[in-house]
Amino acid sequence: MKSVPKLIRRFVSIMFLSSVLLIILNFILLVVYTLNQKPNVYPWATAEEVAGSLSYNNNGYVLSGDTEIELAKTNVWAILIDNATMKVVWSTENLPETVPMQYSVQDIANLVRGYIDGYPTFTGEAENGLVVLGYPKDSFWKHMWPSWDYNFIASLPKTVLSILVINIVLVFIIYVIANSRLLKSVEPIISGIQSLSTKEEVNIQEKGLFSELAASINKTSEILQSQNRQLRKRETARANWIAGVSHDIRTPLSMVMGYAGQLESDKRLSEDGRKKVAVIVKQSERMKNLINDLNLASKLEYNMQPVKCERQNLVAAVRQVVAGFININIDDKYIIEWKTNEDLAACFVNIDKDLVKRAVSNLIQNCINHNGQGCHIFVSVIEESSNCIIVVEDDGIGVTDEQIEKLNNSPHYMVCDENVSEQRHGLGLLIVRQIMEVHGGEANIGHSLYSGFSARLIFPVQNI
Amino acid sequence: MNFDYLKQKRILLVDDEQELLDMTESILNEDGFQNIMTAKTVKEAITVSETYCPEFAILDVMLPDGNGFDLMKQIKSTSDYPVLFLTARGEDNDRLCGFGLGADDYMVKPFLPKELLFRINAILRRSYKDENPVVKLPGSEIYFDRAEVIKNGIHISLTAKEYDILFALYRNAGRIVTVDALCEAAWGDNPFGYENSLMAHICRIREKIEANPSRPVSLITVKGLGYKLVL
Repeated sequence: MKSVPKLIRRFVSIMFLSSVLLIILNFILLVVYTLNQKPNVYPWATAEEVAGSLSYNNNGYVLSGDTEIELAKTNVWAILIDNATMKVVWSTENLPETVPMQYSVQDIANLVRGYIDGYPTFTGEAENGLVVLGYPKDSFWKHMWPSWDYNFIASLPKTVLSILVINIVLVFIIYVIANSRLLKSVEPIISGIQSLSTKEEVNIQEKGLFSELAASINKTSEILQSQNRQLRKRETARANWIAGVSHDIRTPLSMVMGYAGQLESDKRLSEDGRKKVAVIVKQSERMKNLINDLNLASKLEYNMQPVKCERQNLVAAVRQVVAGFININIDDKYIIEWKTNEDLAACFVNIDKDLVKRAVSNLIQNCINHNGQGCHIFVSVIEESSNCIIVVEDDGIGVTDEQIEKLNNSPHYMVCDENVSEQRHGLGLLIVRQIMEVHGGEANIGHSLYSGFSARLIFPVQNI
Repeated sequence: MNFDYLKQKRILLVDDEQELLDMTESILNEDGFQNIMTAKTVKEAITVSETYCPEFAILDVMLPDGNGFDLMKQIKSTSDYPVLFLTARGEDNDRLCGFGLGADDYMVKPFLPKELLFRINAILRRSYKDENPVVKLPGSEIYFDRAEVIKNGIHISLTAKEYDILFALYRNAGRIVTVDALCEAAWGDNPFGYENSLMAHICRIREKIEANPSRPVSLITVKGLGYKLVL
C-alpha cells in the first residue's frame, strides 16, 4: 500500500501549490487593479491644475480656455474661495445653485474631507484662495475619517502575516480531515485492485463513498476467479482427455506390438513377410513413443506433471540412458559413442532425474528417427564455467539454418494458439524444451562438429 | 548358460482382456515357459494362486472386480512369490504404489515382447538364484549360493563386494550395467566416488573368473559406460 501515502503527499503538495499560486495571483490582481484606479488621484491633480491655471486680470479671475472646456465636458464645477473674505470670488458657469457662496472655517474643513451638498469636492491651493472642484454626485466616494491607531498600523504586516498563517493552517486541517476520510475509503479499493492483478480473490465492503466502485471490483474479481476456474477446468479436462485416450490405446497397441514382435523373429515367415512385420513393429513403437510424449507434453504444458528435483549426478543419469539404448540393441546402423571426458566423474545438479533421462532419450531417439540410413551418435557431458551441459550430436543428415531457425522460434502445434497446419513436427523437441524450462536451463540446437545435428542441454550450476 | 530351471516356473497371468492374455501366454511359451495359468478377475486369480501355488505373477492393475494392487496384497498375505505389474496405467503415483507394495517390477503397456521376457528372466534369476547350482563361464564356474568360484579345479571365495558386483552383472547378463549402478549395488545409495574401488574389484573378479584376466572374455569393459557379463 505504498500508493496511499504517495497520494496524500500529492494532494497536500497540490493544495499548497494552489494556495501559494492563489496568493500570488491575488497580489498581482490587486496591483493591476490599483494601477487601473489611477483616476482616483486625478480629481486632486485637476484641482491643483485648475488652481494653477487660474489667473487674475482686470476683469477678475480667468481660467484658461482648455481647462474650462475640460471641466465642462466632465460636468465638473469649480469655485475659488478667497482667503481673506471666505467668499466665492470666482466660479464656473455650471455651478449648481445649491452651492453656498460664503464659507466658514468649519465648512472648509468639511468640504476638504467630504462633500458640498452631495457633490464630492476636491481642493487645490490658488494664489489668494482655495480652488474647490465639485464632481457630479455619486461619482466618487470619499473616506471621511481616515485615522488609525499608530500601533495598529505599525503592527499591520505582522497581523496580516499571522492571519495568513492561521488561514493556511485552518485550510490544511480542513483539507486533511476531508481527504483522510476520502483516502480511507479509497484504501480498500486500491488494495482490491492490486489483489486483482495477483489473481487473488477480492471482497471489499460495499459501503461509503465508493460503494459502487467496490461492487464493480468485487464483481470483476468474481468474473476473474470464475474464468480462472473455467480455464483450469478446461486445461485439466484437456490433459485428462489426452491421458485417457493414451491409456485406452495402450492395451490394443500392446497386442499389435506383441504379435508383431513375435512374428518378426519367426523363422517360418518369408523374407518379405518379415520385412513387413518389421515395419509394423517400428511404426507401433513410434505410436508408443508418441502416446508417451503426448501425455507428458500435455502434463508439462498444463503444469500437471509433478517435478521432484534432487541433487543428482548428471553424468550417471546420462550414462544410464546411453547404456539403456545400447542394451536394447537398436539397429547396427546406429552406433552410440560415449564421449564424456573420463576426468569428469560427476557433475551434480538439482534435477528431476526421470525427466532429464527422458529429455536425453528423446534427443537420441530423434537422431535415430531422422537418419534412416544410420549414423554415429555422440553423447557427452561437459562442465563449462558455471554450467553442466549435455551434448547429443550425430554425423547424420543434419539440419539447415532455416530449419534451426524454425525449430528455435516457431511454437509447436501443442502450444500454439494459431491454426497452423505446417507445424506438424514431432513432440520430442517440445518435451526437451519443456523439461529444460522446469529446470531453469535451456536447450540449444544447431550444427554438430561431426557435420550432423547437435543439441545442447544447459543446466545452470547455481541450481546445485 | 542354462536357465532351463527358470523356464519350469509356474507363472500366473492376470488380465481382463482375453486376447492380451493369449498373446502374453504365446510370448512366454515361445521363450520356453511351460507352466502358465491365466485369470481374468481378482476372484479367479486368488483361486488359481491358492490352488496351483504359482512362483511368479504378472498382474494387470484394472480388473473387473477390483484392482491389481489389492490383489497383490491378498497374494502377499499368503505367499511370497515375485510379482510384475503389466498395466496401461503409467502415472508416477501408480508406479510408486506398485513398488511400495513390494512389486518386483512395473511395466507400462504397450511393451516389446523382448523387454517383457528380459524383465521376467531378470526377476526370476534374482528370486530363484539359490536354485541354480552353477553359472558356467568359459574360464570358470560361479556358485552364487555359496559365493564361490571354481577355476581350474581350485575353489576361490568371493568377497561380499565382489559377490554384489558380480551378481548385479549376472542379473543383467548380456547387458551393460553402468558404473553408477554397480557402485550402487556394492556400496548402496549415493555411491559417488567409488569408481576407482570398483575398478580394483573388477580386476580382482577377473582374476577369479577369467582364464586370462588381461584378456577378459566374460567380464567386458564398455568404455566410459560400465561393464557387461557375457554368458
